[in-house]
Amino acid sequence: MSSRTLSTTASRTYWLGRYLERAGSITRLVSVNANLLMDLPTKLQLGWLPLVEILANQDTYQTLYVSPNSHEKSVTRFLLSDTRNPGSLISVLTYARENARTLRGTLPRAAYEHINDAHLYAQESIQEPLSRTRRSNALQHVVERLQHIDGFLSATMLHDASWQFLRLGNFIERADMTTRIIDLRSSNLLSAQSTLAPFSDIQWRSILNSLDAMQGYFISRQNPINQRDVLEFLLKNSELPRSLLRCFSTIRNCLRSLPRNTEPLKLINRMRQQLQRARVRNLENEKLHRYVGARQKQLSTLHQKITHTYFPDA
Amino acid sequence: MAIQWQDYPADKTWDELICPSGRARKGVTGLKRMLGALDDDELKERKYAAELAIRSMGITFTVYSGEQSGTIDREWPFDIIPRLILKTEWDHITKGLIQRVKALNCFIDDIYHQQRILKDGLIPRAYIEKSNDFRPECMDISPTHDTWAHVCGSDLVRDDDGKLYVLEDNLRVPSGVSYMLENREVMKRVFPELFTTNVIHPVNDYPAELAKCLRSLNPNSTSAPQIAVLTPGIYNSAYFEHTYLANAMAAELVEGRDLEVGKDEYLYMRTIRGLVRVDVLYRRIDDTYLDPEVFNADSTLGVAGIMRAWRAGKVALANAPGCGVADDKVIYTYVPDIIQYYLNESPLLSNVPSYRCVEKQHRDFVLDNLDKLVVKPANESGGYGMLIGPKATRKERNQFAKQIRANPRNYMAQPMLNLSTAPTLIDTHAEPRHLDLRPFILSGASHYVSTGGLTRVAMRKGSIVVNSSQGGGSKDTWVIDT
Repeated sequence: MSSRTLSTTASRTYWLGRYLERAGSITRLVSVNANLLMDLPTKLQLGWLPLVEILANQDTYQTLYVSPNSHEKSVTRFLLSDTRNPGSLISVLTYARENARTLRGTLPRAAYEHINDAHLYAQESIQEPLSRTRRSNALQHVVERLQHIDGFLSATMLHDASWQFLRLGNFIERADMTTRIIDLRSSNLLSAQSTLAPFSDIQWRSILNSLDAMQGYFISRQNPINQRDVLEFLLKNSELPRSLLRCFSTIRNCLRSLPRNTEPLKLINRMRQQLQRARVRNLENEKLHRYVGARQKQLSTLHQKITHTYFPDA
Repeated sequence: MAIQWQDYPADKTWDELICPSGRARKGVTGLKRMLGALDDDELKERKYAAELAIRSMGITFTVYSGEQSGTIDREWPFDIIPRLILKTEWDHITKGLIQRVKALNCFIDDIYHQQRILKDGLIPRAYIEKSNDFRPECMDISPTHDTWAHVCGSDLVRDDDGKLYVLEDNLRVPSGVSYMLENREVMKRVFPELFTTNVIHPVNDYPAELAKCLRSLNPNSTSAPQIAVLTPGIYNSAYFEHTYLANAMAAELVEGRDLEVGKDEYLYMRTIRGLVRVDVLYRRIDDTYLDPEVFNADSTLGVAGIMRAWRAGKVALANAPGCGVADDKVIYTYVPDIIQYYLNESPLLSNVPSYRCVEKQHRDFVLDNLDKLVVKPANESGGYGMLIGPKATRKERNQFAKQIRANPRNYMAQPMLNLSTAPTLIDTHAEPRHLDLRPFILSGASHYVSTGGLTRVAMRKGSIVVNSSQGGGSKDTWVIDT
């Protein structure tokens, strides 16, 4: 492995990894939410606002969209095509493209073209007015393009230090997103006593869907969908690509092959061990919220340690 | 209708491939026959194959567009008909270029030390002291091998009578070599059969030769010096080339912010392992942006303290700062004298006859004959800021005359050469287009000249402006045995 990876290169690949991952999360969450709402009775006003809470800044949303007619239209626009929102799909893809542009000496030649292509596609196909059918098609295509980029990089890039930073970016972002989704979706879950209890399932289903985990759940568990098993699966399964434990393990492996890794490696090892030992099945409401919040804090500390160690000035 | 060679007008100017009689020049017969045998569809197919190769290889150059983003990446404009040079002629050119660059390096070294050439009165002292590219900060510095211009790109042109001239020597940060290399790769994809029937000398040893040259400049006692290529960044027109060369040499591509000069006055790059020393820096930014401590204080492209490191002999800079003093177009007019003075040899390659506007007699002639001359500013590059007298309007000429009178030191003039042409594919037939040639000369422990060089061609009919920033294209350049 090259010992000479520049700090700026490491920083750019790390952020490229984060942006690409985030673009995927936004896209999946919006499509899954649209599906979820179709299955829920309209009197359950879950609606679109929770997505804003997961993915962006609520104040920004409320400043930009004062008493909108339809939250579906304005939230999807805010999250997908609004360039004024730095967390929108289009903004995130723009940042990814800019990073890739500066990495043309590091990434395989065609990588920039693929990323550029995804950005162009999103720009052209996710424009208002956007019908539900067109939106759903377009989002599907964006996801496919992002998966293509992922696979392309994995298959063609040297698996050197730059690659490790790309993956670090991917998995720190992914871990963070997994905790956010669990946190928010569980906080407005229906209580088991409610007359609407039958729909509680549907919400857990949608969580699994947002994390591409539905099929995996059924392959590895025999039980029907229920809160305890889903929680255990999403947090502690060692095989699910988006489980928190799996993310932690990948992050640890990336860090192991990097130089000067003492500090960040110590932290991720501790995080991983704590998670393995934790009893998460029975966490509910406030306790779950606190537990997940603590993981997010750890991830943010880890991000700072990585930044401080490898690219303090970049 | 394909290429109808009998209709090709080769008698207007000197043509590189076709004699005035319409016959192929020596070594060109096979190529001419092969191209003539392709029908329209086949020609289009080959042209399309070239465009596809250029796109998929990502060969681009950046132009300043003035839109909000500032720059756009364009695909490299390329003509599929190559330009040919016989090996025997090329050997002579190679000798002439090495002679020229040797003498220029002697000149630069002299200017920054004893200044014998000024004391002997060969060149007026004022010409040097008023040159925009003379750097007093470089006085008494002695780079390895006493060599300053390690990478030189000289522009060669041929006039009506077939005679070859050196039009200018680019000693600051000459670019274009990556396109020379990529043109050959594209050509091999488009006409693989030609490479089996002709003996075409390869060009791809350039990056290895450049790396060798840079390694030979290593000022530190390490057997494997760390080489880095300093780029101004992605918005520079030659960024593609910077990444290309860094990759091909296995050197690091760095920007100013990746570098720092330590307390020990060595140059370091910031890596994930901490600071790593850089021994040789191939810098692709201009002198004035190199070091905010010494030159442009606002520059964010350079590295504070790098001139101290260089002066202390702890890092080699290629090209050395201050090189541009020999790149000045007024100094150019003295190159034949410079060769004679330092090497005691007659120049093997000719200069274009030139007039110095700073000298009254010359200036009067220039001002009286503006409609016949090309007037160039001393320090511009990229074809900017010049007057092509015969093609300019009276108003433009009068305007330019004012500029010359106001600042005569800044201008020189040359007769307008009728640059040679080569057949160029326009739609599906061949038309003559004017061209030049930029070979690259490396000087370190030894000398090396690229095989051929970058042929630039003015794609517009009648135009002699070959710069890619102004609508020029390029051709693969073949040095062939016969």
